[in-house]
Amino acid sequence: MFKVFAFLKRNSELLSHDEYRAGHIGFHCCNSRRLTGIRGYIVNVWANEGLVSKIGPEYRDIIINEPTGFNDLWDGFPQVYFDDAASWKKATTMEPTRATENGLSIDPDWTLSDSGFLFDPVDSSLKEFKSNHLKVDEEIIIPVNRPERKVTKIIQFFKKHDFMERLDFRDTILSNYAKELSSMEGLKGLTLNFRDHNIDSAINDFYPANGWHFSKQGNHERSQFASLWDGIFEMYFDNIDAFKVGRMTSTLNQTLTALDRKLFSSVWYIEVDESVIIVPNRDPAPDFYYR
Amino acid sequence: MFKAFGFVKRNLSLTHDEYRAAHAGYHNSFGRRLNNIRGYILNVRSNNELSSAYNGSSVIEKITIAEPVDFDDAWDGYGQLNFDSYDDYISARSPSLDRAGKNGLEYDPMVAKVGNDLEYLYSGSPFQFCVDEAVPVSVIRPEKKLFKLAQFVKAPTNLSPILFRSYIAGKYCSALSLMPGLRGLVLNMRTPLDVMSGFFKPESEAFTDKGMMRRELFYSTWDGIIEYWFDDVSDFFSGRADKILNPYLAKLEPELFGASFFREVDETVAVVPNRNPPVDFYFR
Repeated sequence: MFKVFAFLKRNSELLSHDEYRAGHIGFHCCNSRRLTGIRGYIVNVWANEGLVSKIGPEYRDIIINEPTGFNDLWDGFPQVYFDDAASWKKATTMEPTRATENGLSIDPDWTLSDSGFLFDPVDSSLKEFKSNHLKVDEEIIIPVNRPERKVTKIIQFFKKHDFMERLDFRDTILSNYAKELSSMEGLKGLTLNFRDHNIDSAINDFYPANGWHFSKQGNHERSQFASLWDGIFEMYFDNIDAFKVGRMTSTLNQTLTALDRKLFSSVWYIEVDESVIIVPNRDPAPDFYYR
Repeated sequence: MFKAFGFVKRNLSLTHDEYRAAHAGYHNSFGRRLNNIRGYILNVRSNNELSSAYNGSSVIEKITIAEPVDFDDAWDGYGQLNFDSYDDYISARSPSLDRAGKNGLEYDPMVAKVGNDLEYLYSGSPFQFCVDEAVPVSVIRPEKKLFKLAQFVKAPTNLSPILFRSYIAGKYCSALSLMPGLRGLVLNMRTPLDVMSGFFKPESEAFTDKGMMRRELFYSTWDGIIEYWFDDVSDFFSGRADKILNPYLAKLEPELFGASFFREVDETVAVVPNRNPPVDFYFR
């Protein structure tokens, strides 16, 4: 599937982090869940309490070079799934989804015009907002199965050592690291995502060529953000203690820590609150409107 | 949790598939923003005829008891709503503070109207009722569309409602829960609690004589719904053909049910039910 992460910082002049949650998961998703051809849609918002506070100072033992102020760069990241790049690029071409006096119609009130108020605006006109839309290549290590309750989701960001070749790194992560990680006790789902090395892969023909994203400043800011990490593991647990036990107090700890040092110039973890807007459907799409 | 079902018949200006698009698209987009909602699922009657569409479909006729005539004329889909309490449910239809605007987070009155599309989406009012729920097998959803079945069951005249519920929740669902490939099993018994007043406008069709008759006629055909989730349709049919399970169920069903019949539904999870205590921030 074609999968895109979109790291978004809130409009901090107008909204607190918790207000941003409501604006994003509420009104914004009300519209974006109707993007044409969307096959899965999840919004991850960083948890209000950090892992140092929840786990304790031992958290420092499992990270390497966590970027200072990383959470200041974003408040949430949606992940969207489409069948292919072509579907993604025409997603805002609306289809009829509203019952009206004329039968099924295109919704005339459909809008993403809240984006300038919700996300970090480029300037005071609020016409454009900044975002880091990044295409990722996904590998499902342990399929995600969601219960009817809020799960604990941990995002592991990692960046390769400069001296490692990209393909060697990828192979090692897949064949070795992911295998070790997948044996973690209490792990309920594990998805590996490699960031596409082209930071424009998700936004070519999606955002206007004369917009902020392709401006010198936009390209600079996006490159800076993308340079912080090469990949992401999405990890699911029943609770935070399960992560702590699985990662830090098991025999796996030594193995993973050694691999971390060998493979990564930086590695760190963020807990996110996951809202499932559309359960990803990895099977072929049915021949009727389905979300 | 407080759980309500709402059965709806599409507006006749829409085909069944157009109704799907409008319900799963526009309408669910507003419904999922109802204040304090803790779970929201839409089930649309499948385009597949369960008794003929699949290998193994022939079993349906054998396990059906007294299916009402033209049952599907009364509905196209049903929504299910979870709240912490009845009070949360009744107050859910109010403007929601969840829209970013020039003044920060602002109220959106369209949520109070649930998109204001009811008269164009439905024929008449939904048949809305509270259910008494039992969860023999907790639902676990993979990242794909599951095969979901609704079994409508009606008590026989010679069995008290209490024993009916007890037997179904007990021995019947215990047996069903042994079916291989089962991803979830939930029993929902319809209750007489009035959850229409205060939720729908007093002038709604539901409160007219005709509306009440229409609803009572529908309710007269069943008392409860057993929902099944499977990875694949073949799991259900192979389970029902099991050499040990099937004779047991076949003996039980004529004793337990005045009527029992099945429908496949396509499930949209607009808000994954969260059965844990609520968190202290906006969460869906």
